[in-house]
Amino acid sequence: MRLHAALVLAATLVAPAAAIFEDDAYHIDFHHALIGLPKRDATFFHKPYAASKASLIYTIHGNRTIGVVNPKDGALVWRQAPVSTQPGHGLLRAAEDQDTVVSAFGNHVAAWNAADGRIVWEARLIGATVEDLEILEQEDGITKNDAKDAIVLLSDQGVKRFDGKTGRVKWTYQDNSGDTPFQISTSPTTIFYIALHTPMLGGSQLRVTSLSPITGKKLDSYTLSSESEIQNHEHILFAGANTAAPLLAWTDKSNKVLKVNIIGTKGISTFTTPAKEAIKKIILHAPNRVNSLAHFLVEYHTDSGHSAEVYHVDLKKNTVSKAYSLPELKGKGAFAVSPVDANVYFTRITTEEISVLSSASHGVLARWPIKAPSSLAGAYPVQANSEVIVKSGSVSSIRSAVLYSNGQWVSIRNGDVAWERPEFLSGAVSATWATLAEEESIAHELEVESHQNVVSAYIHRVQRHIKDLEHFPAWIQNLPTRVLGNLLGKSEESAIDEIHHDTFGFHKLAVVATEDGRLAALDVGAQGKVVWNIDLNELAPGATFSDSSLKAFRGYVEVMGNGLQGPLFINSTTGELLISDAIQTQPAIISKDQHLISFDLIDGELKGFLGAQATAEPVWTFTPPNGESIVRYTARPINDPVASIGKVLGDRKVLYKYLNPNLVLVTTVLQSARIVSFYLLDSASGQLLHAVSHDDVDASRPIPSTISENWFSYSLTIDSTSSASSRGYQLVIAELFESPLPDDRGPLGASSNASSVQPSAAHGDATKPYVMSQTYHIPEEISHMAVTQTKQGITSRELLVTLPSSNSIVGIPRMVIDPRRPVGRDPTALEASEGLAKYSPIIMFDPKWSLNHKYEVSGIKGVIATESGLESTSLVLAYGQDIFGTRVAPSFTFDMLGKGFNKLQMLLTVVALFVAVLFVAPLVRRKQINSLWTQ
Amino acid sequence: MPAAPPPPQWVLDISSPPAPKSKSGTLADPPGYTPAASAITSKQRSQAAKTVTQRKAPTTEEMDTLKMKKAWEIAIAPAKQLPMNAIGMYMTGNTLQIFSIFMVFTLFKTPVMAVMNLQRVFAPFEAPGISTRLISVKVVYVLMNMLGLGLGIWKVNQMGLLPTTRSDWLAWEGERTWSERAVPREWL
Repeated sequence: MRLHAALVLAATLVAPAAAIFEDDAYHIDFHHALIGLPKRDATFFHKPYAASKASLIYTIHGNRTIGVVNPKDGALVWRQAPVSTQPGHGLLRAAEDQDTVVSAFGNHVAAWNAADGRIVWEARLIGATVEDLEILEQEDGITKNDAKDAIVLLSDQGVKRFDGKTGRVKWTYQDNSGDTPFQISTSPTTIFYIALHTPMLGGSQLRVTSLSPITGKKLDSYTLSSESEIQNHEHILFAGANTAAPLLAWTDKSNKVLKVNIIGTKGISTFTTPAKEAIKKIILHAPNRVNSLAHFLVEYHTDSGHSAEVYHVDLKKNTVSKAYSLPELKGKGAFAVSPVDANVYFTRITTEEISVLSSASHGVLARWPIKAPSSLAGAYPVQANSEVIVKSGSVSSIRSAVLYSNGQWVSIRNGDVAWERPEFLSGAVSATWATLAEEESIAHELEVESHQNVVSAYIHRVQRHIKDLEHFPAWIQNLPTRVLGNLLGKSEESAIDEIHHDTFGFHKLAVVATEDGRLAALDVGAQGKVVWNIDLNELAPGATFSDSSLKAFRGYVEVMGNGLQGPLFINSTTGELLISDAIQTQPAIISKDQHLISFDLIDGELKGFLGAQATAEPVWTFTPPNGESIVRYTARPINDPVASIGKVLGDRKVLYKYLNPNLVLVTTVLQSARIVSFYLLDSASGQLLHAVSHDDVDASRPIPSTISENWFSYSLTIDSTSSASSRGYQLVIAELFESPLPDDRGPLGASSNASSVQPSAAHGDATKPYVMSQTYHIPEEISHMAVTQTKQGITSRELLVTLPSSNSIVGIPRMVIDPRRPVGRDPTALEASEGLAKYSPIIMFDPKWSLNHKYEVSGIKGVIATESGLESTSLVLAYGQDIFGTRVAPSFTFDMLGKGFNKLQMLLTVVALFVAVLFVAPLVRRKQINSLWTQ
Repeated sequence: MPAAPPPPQWVLDISSPPAPKSKSGTLADPPGYTPAASAITSKQRSQAAKTVTQRKAPTTEEMDTLKMKKAWEIAIAPAKQLPMNAIGMYMTGNTLQIFSIFMVFTLFKTPVMAVMNLQRVFAPFEAPGISTRLISVKVVYVLMNMLGLGLGIWKVNQMGLLPTTRSDWLAWEGERTWSERAVPREWL
């Protein structure tokens, strides 16, 4: 028993517990916790509770993520992504002095605690989609102090009033007119329900129905004649504002006329828009406070510039009049409205400056030039939200959350950029590691040298080194700062910011494509700094990039998207579009004396073709049996270095690994019988090497798989009852060997050449691998799998798994899931010396394996890993809704000095020893002479 | 000639030292008593010396036999140390530690040095008559030292330092080159 305990202890000591060290966290890794581009009408500053002094920025993104950002530093306070079965647009409302915010998305309505994002109540409306959401600020002109109720407009279930505390439905108004529900708006005494009444011919009429807030009964209904202007939703500019006089504004197709109606009255005020240039877009800004002045601003955008007009509403006469207009400025700009007590302030943000005006008069109250950082170069403000601080009648400071056209969400405080959030990165669908042109040129030169004879290669190398001398002065200049930075214990990241001074190869560019068609390059070694960021929609109008794929080549990235004529080639250093003629030829994937076979999934069958092109006659075809359908296939990566071709056993014998570069793992599903099968094929010959089938699998859940070196792994959701209550998750790993016997290389023997097509002298018909596999139960579902990659494959590997339910990424050491772990018995001394522990069916994810420590990495679609300059370290990037990058050292950083290494102390010790030697040397010399004399 | 005075007490004490204590009695012998066994007169003693000096000098054959005997003893000596060394080696274990490394080093050094000093070790026994017979002794000596060396090799093997297994030559074995390379078409 004691021996057993000692062995277990020894095994745990031997097993690499590759945890992230405390001093490494937040230095080697980065996390962009993203929300997505903020929605214009659902982004606002709001105090999380009534007594709060500071406000937070609340926003919702189209992908239903509700995010709350601290305006001070841009940190995410909380984030929620409610699940809706119906598509729809996200709505977010908050009432004054309330500690909840109410969101609606699809058929899901929920109230969240404004300070911490905990759910207060939620309601799921079966078969309906929420069209609009408002919060009842006042009832009969009196502000309620406890939870304010939410009014929800549904697509075909009318209007519902939800209790603000419990989420109970208080009343429902059913609209049977068949009109298209559009919006609701509340005034202190009435709820207005606005619908689009579309007659058979012509445009739409606006029908306004007023409802009693208390009973939900219809009080009145009238139609506004707007047929001539309104053709569809887009022509309605604005409806609502919980002001004393809620507004309804619309325009016509050509944006020539602006019509405004005070909801509850039948009068329509008509204004003509500035006619100098064709207006592309009109945006109306009105304060949403009950007690603020009834002033609003209309923003006009033309191709070349933008202007605005401010209108006042006379509540007594129920008229709308134009107060003043703001001059047209060239370039793009954005406006924001900020009510302070009863006053209303408008903020105008252009690329150059930020100015504040009062709604009452046209004088500029304050003006600050914007000191834009380089990340905003070439971008312009698209939408803004501002908070104005007024002290004794004058504007003392202003902070704005501005969305720029390049997708950066920026906070500007009095003209200074306080923080930036790269929200455009959210929703990444594809990512790849780019290789920089500079390092690629060196690789190219080396390639040239390797192909020449010794003398000319030597001359070439000397010339290259002489040419490299031009960097020498700059290097010398930088040397003192670098040495000092090193000595003073500054981290190497801050000392070496430039990608060119990257001695360890940690600065790699990851190119990420998002579903919105943005392509960005991140420097993984510099906390995920965005190096460049372009909009693919500008380069290829009309194409969609929601399922784009990226491929990295020497110096450029190839982008494939839906609706693209051909692939786009983007320079990976600068982000510029390359013309396909200018592209250098790429080295071939395969060596000259190899036959290339390509395979592809065509009509549910996996087919292999001789050469790169699909021909009518495939070399082989794999049709899954029993009507199973192929869901995915995983091939061994092209660059998959293997350090040792065998596994050394405890008795120093060798189990030879089955290393076939053409392995492909095919996952098939038989949905009706809930069977998932895996077929391991030799993709050169199409030969089936191994097959395994699993029953009672929930095939609707993700079935990730990966293949590397001589092993493959996959994960399943086991579901024996088909109800979601009894679920189990399994991780299966299988390792391939040439022979079950140690010191045996299988039928091929010691021959150094192998072919899976041509006949060989080997005995037996084929060289099938010997497969050892083992299944482990895991506590959580895995949505994606990847394997760490290092330069030469000497470092042991980690299986990187994404756990969506705990928003984390875990690196499982390969040794822990070794299929050779002895089952049902303790390991023998020889096995223990190999580091094999007794098989235990359950693997708990050790917190030390977690790569993301305190970060909540949500919505991960994929994880990619690549080698760094050091053998011990692999670079990892996870993308999806968030972007997370880190460095992984499965066998610890054995080739790097730790942070605890005190270089200063070492130098001082050397100096002290040298001084000591200087002092001691004469003494020793005298002693030696004396000893010669006295002899 | 007057009779010689009786010798002083100290002379008596020297010439007749106290006899070893008898096994039974704890009492000391009375003064002046000399046990019979030790009562050997000086005359007798001189006679005995005379017989020794008069012993016949050994013949060359006898000398050679004696030398051979001695030489055999030296030749067998390394083998006598083997059990002790073996136990020592067994006790030090198979881990690479400074102590066991030193022991193994001496284990190798001793036989090699011994064989190198072969001529010097057997030089005292060289005689014209037995030089041929000495060869077999030397051979046995070398063999015995080889046994010691064998113990060293066994030990080194136990420590896993001899490249006798497949894994020791694994680094020289290469991955097979496959004459086909298949890739998914989307990678091309």
